[in-house]
Amino acid sequence: MKRFTTGVFAMMFALLLSASAFAAKQKVIGVSLLTRQHQFYKDMESALQSSAKKNNIKLIVQSGEFDLSTQMPQLESFIVQKVDAIVVCPTNSKGIGPAVKKANKAGIPVFTADIAFEGEGVVAHIASNNVLGGNDAGEYMAKLLKGKGKVIIIEHPTVKSATDRVKGFENTLKKYPGIKIVGKVSSDGQRDKAMTAMENMLQAHPDLTGVFAINDDSALGALRAIEVAKKKGIVIVGYDATEEAQKAIMRGSALKADVIQYPKKIGEKTIEAIVKFWKGQKPPKFVPVEVGIVDKPWLDKVHKLIKK
Amino acid sequence: MARLIKLLQNYGIVAGFIIFCVYLSIATQGKFSKAENLLDVANQISINAIIATGMTFVILTAGIDLSVGSILGFAGVVAALMLKKHGVAACFLAGVGIGAFLGAFNGTVITKLKISPFITTLAMMTMARGFAWLTAPEGYISDFPQKFLNIAEGSLAFSIPNLAVFMLLVVALAHLLLTKTAFGRHVYSTGGNEEATYLSGVNVHRVKLFVYMISGLLAGLSGVLLAARLGSGDPKSGEMYELNAIASVVLGGTSLMGGVGSVLGTFFGAIVIGVLNNGLLLLNVSTYHQWIIKGVVILFAVLLDQMKKR
Repeated sequence: MKRFTTGVFAMMFALLLSASAFAAKQKVIGVSLLTRQHQFYKDMESALQSSAKKNNIKLIVQSGEFDLSTQMPQLESFIVQKVDAIVVCPTNSKGIGPAVKKANKAGIPVFTADIAFEGEGVVAHIASNNVLGGNDAGEYMAKLLKGKGKVIIIEHPTVKSATDRVKGFENTLKKYPGIKIVGKVSSDGQRDKAMTAMENMLQAHPDLTGVFAINDDSALGALRAIEVAKKKGIVIVGYDATEEAQKAIMRGSALKADVIQYPKKIGEKTIEAIVKFWKGQKPPKFVPVEVGIVDKPWLDKVHKLIKK
Repeated sequence: MARLIKLLQNYGIVAGFIIFCVYLSIATQGKFSKAENLLDVANQISINAIIATGMTFVILTAGIDLSVGSILGFAGVVAALMLKKHGVAACFLAGVGIGAFLGAFNGTVITKLKISPFITTLAMMTMARGFAWLTAPEGYISDFPQKFLNIAEGSLAFSIPNLAVFMLLVVALAHLLLTKTAFGRHVYSTGGNEEATYLSGVNVHRVKLFVYMISGLLAGLSGVLLAARLGSGDPKSGEMYELNAIASVVLGGTSLMGGVGSVLGTFFGAIVIGVLNNGLLLLNVSTYHQWIIKGVVILFAVLLDQMKKR
């Protein structure tokens, strides 16, 4: 008898659930971000929300906070809730594999934003085009050096987005035979390591004229080393345009320019790709989002506008 | 022949290091041996050497302290906040104080609650990192007054960088503490045979409490110095520093089993790691090769050291 009652209740509950799902008819996207702490992700999340609202989509947003064991249950809960699409910014480029497989089995399309998944089963990846960002940095460097000089790269060889930036930078500099890349050092994206590496590079190449750094912690570490050594005639091009880096550019330091990503555009294009997919169109495997260059003239203009 | 082998075992690491330095000077066309570069290296090793000095006390008692990197990060951001509000003196007091407090907390948990040093300091490693991020959620604190930055930029005498002066002072004091005081002897004997030391009337718990406090205190000091060097307090800073510190201690001949070793050895270990880092960069060795070479050097050094003791 007892079992029968629970069975009835369960059926009623299930009916209720499916009824409410029918009644709403609103599509649902489950989003698992890398983090909610960084400004970059805050901007991306707000764009995801506003684009979803425009398209009458419900968003469930969670964050893996750099931890695969936090992110996996989030993805699994999306699958259980039978969402209409999943957006994930993997905390581990390979680690989310089992969840992607499970989602595919359940017929839920998976999209990645900002950080790619290394494996099969993702409909589309929406992210800044890091190779293009590297190209832009290279062009700007060539302009700063007037086509002549010795340059080092502060790299992070174990991270794909960073190696793409380096690839783009190197490819562009091939057009300028007067500029020679004399060294590549790793900072692991960290400021203290970048500073130490820069000090050592100043010893190895006293006639250095340019530095390309794959992120702003590296750029600011290099800047600190150059300023402490009171070296003149070296320019730095960084990546990300964080607030601290923008300040350094504004005060006329050796950091001359930064590649900037547009997280809001990544968010908008992600929703756009999903909506297209629902309508039966197949988005390309990689949806590139443009990047830009931030330098002192640009920042001066922006600040003037704000003051007005 | 036997004497030669004995000689090699006793001074093998030092000899190998000197040969490497000579090779570096030649291979880099004198760039390595230039005073300017050597002073850079002195600057670069300071922070690791100071942390490793504290780690030596802990390892001499057969313990381990995995929390130094996180304590450094936390102390660094708190010091940076204090600096902006109350000036340089408060900044140093806060950084060193927090380090000492967290170190003492480690020591208390280890001795009173009998949780192993590995687990206790592993827990502290994640807790202190969390506190660091809570203190500076934006990720950095910068725009320091020049007076503070000068601590890392300037030099008081003989163009020896100030950070290196801090390092030399810490190493000298720690060496005296270990070799000339009763506390120093108790550290060695606790690591050599804790039971016997206890039975001979030494308060082993207090000795252990103090070694973790010293380790935390020096990590806190390093946090302040790193903030001065980088010109910013950053909750990310100090990640993996514990491993570099442990490597320096072990390279310097201190046994992880406790009871054997010295601060001067650790100082030498820190120099080896710093020179290796600098030299491989000057030689334009690629990142991955650098990692492999560093690992091999550590293994070899420890192997030589063990052969000596057998």
